[in-house]
Amino acid sequence: MNRATIDGKTITAPEGHTILDAATESGIEIPTLCWYPGLSVVGNCRICLVSVDGAEKLIPACAAPIEDGMKIETRSPAAVDNRRSVLSLLLERYPTTNLDAGAEPANIFESYLADYGVKPTTANQRELPLRSGDERPDDPMIRHDMSTCILCTRCVRACEETQVVGVLDTAERGGVTQIIVGTDGDPDKASCTWCGECVRVCPTNAIFEFLPRERFGEELKATDKVARSVCPFCGVGCQIDLHAKDDTIVRVTSPAPTEITPNDGSTCVKGRFGYDFTSHEDRLNKPLIRKGWEKENDRWEWRGGTDSLRRTGPWQTIEGEGATMKPAAPPRRQGKRLKDLPLLERTAEVSANRVATPIDWYEPFREATWEEAFELTAQELTRIHEDDGPDGLAVFASAKCTNEENYLLQRLFRARFGTNNIDHCTRMCHATSVSAMSDTLATAAASGSMREVEHASDVIFIAGANTAETHPVFGAALKRAHERGAKLVVADPRKVELAARADVHLQMTPGTDVALFNGMLNHVFAMQLEDTDFITKRVKNIDAIRQSVEPYTPERASAITGIPAELIREAAEIYAGGPNTSTLWAMGLTQHLRGHDMVISLLNLILCCGMIGRWGAAMMPVRGQNNVQGASDMGAIPFVYPDYQPVADPANREKFSRAWGVDPETMSLTPGMKVTEIAKKGSPVRALYIMGENPIISDPDIARAEEWFSKVDFLAVQDLFLTETARYADVVLPGAAFSEKSGTYVNTERRIQVTEKAVNPPGEALADWEIVTEISKRCGLESPFESPDEIMEEINSLAPSWTGVSYERLKGAGLQYPVPAMDHPGTSFLFPETFPTDDGLANLHPVEYAPPDELPDDEFPYVMSTGRQLYHWHTGTMTRRSAGLDQREPTPTIEINPEDAAELGVKDGDLVKVTSKRNSIVISTRTSFRVAPKQVFVPFHFREAAANLLTNPVLESHAKMPELKITAVRIEPV
Amino acid sequence: MGYPHKSDPKENVVLSEYFGDAGARTYDGWVERGGYKALKTALGMEPNAVTDIVKQSGLRGRGGAGFPTGLKWSFMPKEKTRAHYLCCNADESEPGTFKDREIMRWTPHALIEGCAIGQYAIGAEVCYIYIRGEFTEPIKVMQAALDAAYANGVLGDNAMGSGKKLDMYIHRGAGAYICGEETALMNSIEGRRGNPRIKPPFPAAAGLFGMPTTINNVETLAAVPHIINRGAEWYSGLSLASEKSSGTKLLSVCGNVRKPGNYEVTMGFPLKELIYDLCGGMPEGRTLKAVIPGGSSVPILTREEAEGCILDYEGCVAAGTMLGSGGVIVFDDSVDMVYQIMRLAKFYAHESCAQCTQCREGTAWTVRILERILAGKGTQDDIDLLLDLADQMTGKTICVLSDSCAVPVVSGITKFRDEFDAYISGAREPVLTHG
Repeated sequence: MNRATIDGKTITAPEGHTILDAATESGIEIPTLCWYPGLSVVGNCRICLVSVDGAEKLIPACAAPIEDGMKIETRSPAAVDNRRSVLSLLLERYPTTNLDAGAEPANIFESYLADYGVKPTTANQRELPLRSGDERPDDPMIRHDMSTCILCTRCVRACEETQVVGVLDTAERGGVTQIIVGTDGDPDKASCTWCGECVRVCPTNAIFEFLPRERFGEELKATDKVARSVCPFCGVGCQIDLHAKDDTIVRVTSPAPTEITPNDGSTCVKGRFGYDFTSHEDRLNKPLIRKGWEKENDRWEWRGGTDSLRRTGPWQTIEGEGATMKPAAPPRRQGKRLKDLPLLERTAEVSANRVATPIDWYEPFREATWEEAFELTAQELTRIHEDDGPDGLAVFASAKCTNEENYLLQRLFRARFGTNNIDHCTRMCHATSVSAMSDTLATAAASGSMREVEHASDVIFIAGANTAETHPVFGAALKRAHERGAKLVVADPRKVELAARADVHLQMTPGTDVALFNGMLNHVFAMQLEDTDFITKRVKNIDAIRQSVEPYTPERASAITGIPAELIREAAEIYAGGPNTSTLWAMGLTQHLRGHDMVISLLNLILCCGMIGRWGAAMMPVRGQNNVQGASDMGAIPFVYPDYQPVADPANREKFSRAWGVDPETMSLTPGMKVTEIAKKGSPVRALYIMGENPIISDPDIARAEEWFSKVDFLAVQDLFLTETARYADVVLPGAAFSEKSGTYVNTERRIQVTEKAVNPPGEALADWEIVTEISKRCGLESPFESPDEIMEEINSLAPSWTGVSYERLKGAGLQYPVPAMDHPGTSFLFPETFPTDDGLANLHPVEYAPPDELPDDEFPYVMSTGRQLYHWHTGTMTRRSAGLDQREPTPTIEINPEDAAELGVKDGDLVKVTSKRNSIVISTRTSFRVAPKQVFVPFHFREAAANLLTNPVLESHAKMPELKITAVRIEPV
Repeated sequence: MGYPHKSDPKENVVLSEYFGDAGARTYDGWVERGGYKALKTALGMEPNAVTDIVKQSGLRGRGGAGFPTGLKWSFMPKEKTRAHYLCCNADESEPGTFKDREIMRWTPHALIEGCAIGQYAIGAEVCYIYIRGEFTEPIKVMQAALDAAYANGVLGDNAMGSGKKLDMYIHRGAGAYICGEETALMNSIEGRRGNPRIKPPFPAAAGLFGMPTTINNVETLAAVPHIINRGAEWYSGLSLASEKSSGTKLLSVCGNVRKPGNYEVTMGFPLKELIYDLCGGMPEGRTLKAVIPGGSSVPILTREEAEGCILDYEGCVAAGTMLGSGGVIVFDDSVDMVYQIMRLAKFYAHESCAQCTQCREGTAWTVRILERILAGKGTQDDIDLLLDLADQMTGKTICVLSDSCAVPVVSGITKFRDEFDAYISGAREPVLTHG
């Protein structure tokens, strides 16, 4: 500790703390412009200079460490003079419109001008021109007004250091120095991800969000509420601040980097700019009931058409839209100047209202009262339950809804209707990870934390996860880890961003992961790199593993995977060498017919190398949805009650039935059906309740799924919009968006976070927990909940890992479960000593490589994989109604290797017809070296060219996961 | 040696002995002239002993700051847990300075030998020679010499059979004056924008690639072999005035003299003799008006001051200026000092890396005001504004470029105020139309 005095006040500061740190801590404000928490210190603005006794010159407070005995004056005459000088020099080239008008300071720089009494010279005495720089004209999200730039370079550093992208830079020297976007002003070419980190750090609004200013203008200055929330997109669980005015979200900002948040205050493009779907004109604001339902003698009766007319509407099926010709994708190109941008007008034309709900879709419906909607729903669920028994009903919960809402929904169907037919999109997500981790470790979540991967891992192994695009904020953390020196090994058939920067990229033939991991393990054993101590103490069945990987020499693995044997060896050595290796995986591993086996073989590698159970060695299945972890935790899966308590165990049934006030005998001991089994020909389900899911776009082989939905007896859909699925419903219940209710979500690192309500839902729409509570009551299940925190009280009384959770405790950074007691701090990493299996040991299971279901052949020579893009989310219901995001990716595209494109005779923007054994879509070409030759990639966000029309509905045997990642297709120019 | 002229008996040719002698450029030619003996000697000594000799010689940095070279070397950490680097600053961009160019053109091996000795002394396996990009010919000569040094086993994994590894690379600059600033130079080698870094940390603690680094000027390093060969005492005895300044100094003389060029003199040589004897004095019919004795960044001397100035570190300070890089710019009575000062300021404004507010804005604004005065639109307030700006620009920034711009402005106004006043009062015709 160093002792010093600042402005006469004695302070102590630890070694390495700067004068600025120490001053801030003791409440002494030193003005700063170029300094920003977390960014490198460049000390270029020179406004923070202070006087230090004995020093010849003024000293930069942001850069100079406190030394013992220093006497610092932050407001000495020399320091204040210098500050005035800096401000007046900057002001000389800064527009004075706002200042001349005598308006409130528009930013921190203008505040300093006021604080230090610096006045602009009058305009006609101006010696120097205003500053300029690249402007991003017509950019849908980020614009520049570089006349207010003060060249502090925060944006340049944020882009390079926080996001590790490097789009922005300082160009030129001297008076013409300016901030540039790439080398020619085109953010696309410079790999901009539109994350908006530059917007966040800019001290003068020279870089600003375009949409709020365009839409809300003056209102931005007088927002009436700021609510802390959690981003509604991926599983990183970024905390964001919603700024509201008159029940509209007008802006999203992110918390200060100094606060403890999973995102360290960053966001990606979706988090910062993708909030406007909540106020889209398509939002449902009244319940809808299908015309034909009529109430007679206190009962609702169907009087409409039957058979094929029962659920039709004036729309094309997804199959029909897929085959239709459509506008070609506009090139993605932006220039420095407006005249370079004729193509953007074309984009605007193409995308105007195209993704909004077609007006015709409302035609089969009439607006209804909540009373009618509740009555009809309760009546039909009860009737079909009576007619067909418990298994005639099923429910899709939602990874987009809160824990409380998912809890209530499974509670209703388990307690009142006695069925375990409860599932949600985890089935198409990490279901095989859950089954594999359950078999091996008796766990269902990540063992570690994102920040340990960023700060403590020496090696990061990523298998089948495009983290930079699908979890961009975590992706940036991985890039920062790589920059600090961690090794990055990526196994992926595509050369995605992280694969391209990896130390080793294992670019395999799709679906050959088992051979790769067995091959790596073979080499680990051959070189005796395994963690023998860990193996002796923590795992069983090691001999079977040794035996099973024996034949998988790197050469044999190479023959199967197409990866050079040398790279497999290198990767194995890096992986086992650690010393701390974290292992990440996502859909690239799970969405396979052999997905369970693939995860098992990866777990074998993790366990034999001892890469779990200590800080820096994390096992991380990276969860996709913002609450897919929570929905599973809440028992929205067919075989467990909340907190993974098996439904088959009578003791659990006893416990839950007592808590829910029903006779245990009415509750089922049989695990229920899964998403992929429910909406399938021959399924016994006649009534389906869906909360916030859109299976008609997300299910494999959509044409058959859509047919099933059009024939179900009763369908209730609770959603924000009239989705492709909701258009087949009998009742559509308007729910609330994330910003319109409070509740809790669990992110990918088991972190439970609470959100605050920012605005009211539109019209008569209700929070989803209110809807489910009311339906529960009307179906006769006692549900005395007045607010989400009351639901949480019931949850933590039943879920042992959540015992210590309360809304009060969740404020701030939230809690990572298990939180077994009210005084327990939460658990940042699991399994330091044992695993939660019966004997505490990991059960290794030998697995053999087997090929995927569909292999390319002469008729279908390409392998198609599906997945997400940076700018869109899942079935597009939210992001395609977000103006900025949709303009970035307005149309569906297929990524084709340029070699193949040349062979097919197509170029960027050309339409092609893609055909699998099941169906065809017409889609625009985007050539890209990211895909290997004879492989293509189709994102699944787009209704008009739905990738899932083509995908293979074959199911993995443990988890019933469809093989979404591998479809053999043929491509023809049209 | 007043290249391209014959050397004057008043000179003391040590570094410039072979200027003009093409034979000295080749490896064999250099060895014939006694080359690489010093390196051989040094490699047979303890590294600390080499540093000690340089310390005792009194050699001081010839790039401008005059920091004792041996002392600088001794700042390098003794433990070798991390890589150490030597950088040779051959970015010679100071207006009026062209001595390093001649060393590299004529005696490339002298520099290579000096670098190698320096590397050995500080424990650096790698040395980067950062050469100004416009020096196309010296780069060619240096590269050929470097290749020859490798080919003859002087450099490489086993330098001169010593078992020591000494590697050397030439890095070309790309036209930025600021890259001659030591930390900007390191950023430039690392592939970053050539912005000076905040100090501390100083290069000896965290320099190139974050590793302990020493950076020396070409002339400094080229002097080292002579010191090893002839001894510290010989070198420290080379002094005509202050004993704190020893050795010889190359002076690049340009401007209004009859024989501009490089002259090597013993420290303590009078500036008056340099101008009037060695350089042949003023052009016909002209008289001396002013001298900038140490490259464009040092205060301007009036005729009286210049004629009394002794050319060593202490002598220049006594005369109110600095020895700097030894670039002597001579102005005769035909020169418009206001215009000259504007030209200098314009150079700094153009070359400002633009990090620091005072420098980026101050240099540009200074130029605007000077141009306005030259356009006949100045006022007396402008003089105050210039002095005020200069004050704001001095001692407040990361590096001294901003100060360097202020220096000629302040000394110019102080010493040649009448010329400024003449433009302001209208007594002198405007020379610029804009402003």
